[in-house]
Amino acid sequence: MFTPQTGGAWYGYIAGAIVASIVLIVILTQLPQRARKWVLFTVTFLGGLFYALEFFLPTHEMMIEGNKAEGNFLTPFVVPMANILPALSSFAVGLGVINLFQLHTKRVLKWNLDSINSVVFFVAMILMTVAHIMAKRPHPSEFVTSLQKILFDGALQSLDATMFSIIAFYITSAAYRAFRVRSLEATLLLATAIIVMLGQITIGQLLTSSLPDYLHIEVVRNWILTKVNAPATRAIAVGLGIGSLAVGLRIWLGLERGSYFEN
Amino acid sequence: MNILRLLQTVDRRVIYVLLMLSVTIPFFLPIRLPMKVSPATQAFYNAVEELKPGDFVLLSVDWEAGTRGENGPQTEAVVTHLMRKKCRFAMLSFQPQGPKISQLIVDRLAKEYGYRDGIDWVNWGYRVDAKNYLKGFVQDVPGVIKTTTKGEPVANLEVMKGIKTAKDINLIINVTPSNIYATYIQFVAGAKKIPMVVAPTSVIVPEVFNYLDSKQIVGMMPGLPGAGEYESLLGTNTKVTRFANSASFAHLLIIFFIILGNIAMVMERRQRAQSGGNA
Repeated sequence: MFTPQTGGAWYGYIAGAIVASIVLIVILTQLPQRARKWVLFTVTFLGGLFYALEFFLPTHEMMIEGNKAEGNFLTPFVVPMANILPALSSFAVGLGVINLFQLHTKRVLKWNLDSINSVVFFVAMILMTVAHIMAKRPHPSEFVTSLQKILFDGALQSLDATMFSIIAFYITSAAYRAFRVRSLEATLLLATAIIVMLGQITIGQLLTSSLPDYLHIEVVRNWILTKVNAPATRAIAVGLGIGSLAVGLRIWLGLERGSYFEN
Repeated sequence: MNILRLLQTVDRRVIYVLLMLSVTIPFFLPIRLPMKVSPATQAFYNAVEELKPGDFVLLSVDWEAGTRGENGPQTEAVVTHLMRKKCRFAMLSFQPQGPKISQLIVDRLAKEYGYRDGIDWVNWGYRVDAKNYLKGFVQDVPGVIKTTTKGEPVANLEVMKGIKTAKDINLIINVTPSNIYATYIQFVAGAKKIPMVVAPTSVIVPEVFNYLDSKQIVGMMPGLPGAGEYESLLGTNTKVTRFANSASFAHLLIIFFIILGNIAMVMERRQRAQSGGNA
């Protein structure tokens, strides 16, 4: 449906898409709230209708992009849609960046002790973005490659891993304070937690290795996970699924209060 | 302060220090604890073992540095197995850091097994909007993926020979700390009847058991213990064994503190009841 562009045409298409997007956003913001709601409702409804019809309408054998496939008259448009929708999703990321910039600019302008965090945000974001874009260009210099390596491998990954690891300390402290045999339910929870934890580790398995097979801690843990825990989580998942379906239908049909920028 | 009360209110900084020691010291000790392979990990291993040389595998590496402790060894174990089996594979991720972190693992192993980028394996890179993306992906793999992380058109690569639609994929492997595996089941594995295995972090293992039980996935490598079990099946002995030691001692510490707090609480209650009875 869409042919990939290269060279000057590629830049032309990118510029055209940006201009068209800005014009569209400006028009949308200038529209009265009632009209804007109808535009958004129509787009949402048609988007949902496309996937619903594509899924539910009867299929037959057909050729799509030279490949034999099962589908109906809407199926050939699934791939173009899959190419368009991630681009739309990227706007959400862009809006998030704009929002962060607005928030932190205000904090820097109001200068106080906490503003240093906002400065760090600007430095980190700009440096990381520039380094990544430069590193993606053909034949990047050694300096750019090293800078990207330091920022990504050295800083970002290590910070990310550290932040996540800290949770282990809180979990240990919280488990010690919260798991108390104050009621029958709490006792059951405590016993289950200890069995599952012991079954998870090699020392636990070693401790029960001399017992009959069915009393091995890893066997008991597997039984708890598959026969007790799985049905419960499945019931929750089914409930969540039905809830999501209901919410999805409400949003699709414009019935959800607060949809489309309503108060 | 009463000793029983003290045992119930150990300062959190003491717990933090003990946890740090219980994680770091066993890591450097040369002990190898026995590891029993769970049925879920065995099924995962069998699914890869059944592949033939040249079969094409989609390796979805949807993890970031935060869960590297678990997802890193899982990725390493499964990539080692794929390379031993001489299978072609492609990496895809819906997490920004996923392709880069995983590439570091693959690059290291590729040298050992003589795997060539673009011929034996390929990194498709990071993509957004998994649901909509995968809906198109199942119909036209090169048409939706388009380029690799190096910007090369995937359709021209030797590794992509014969790969047109998702039906041409022999196995889907998802390494993840999130529920992205459900999206794969919904739109790819389930819809096109492609076998799929999942390597989740320990925290989401209970959820994934549902899909294993319903046979929507054919195997699971549960967290770090799963990676250790997988390594014992492969006969390799890398950092995972030491990670497992650290995890074992950390779990024991948590269990010790839970039991300690409870014994102290029960004894204090009994003491109070006795003194109340005497009065």
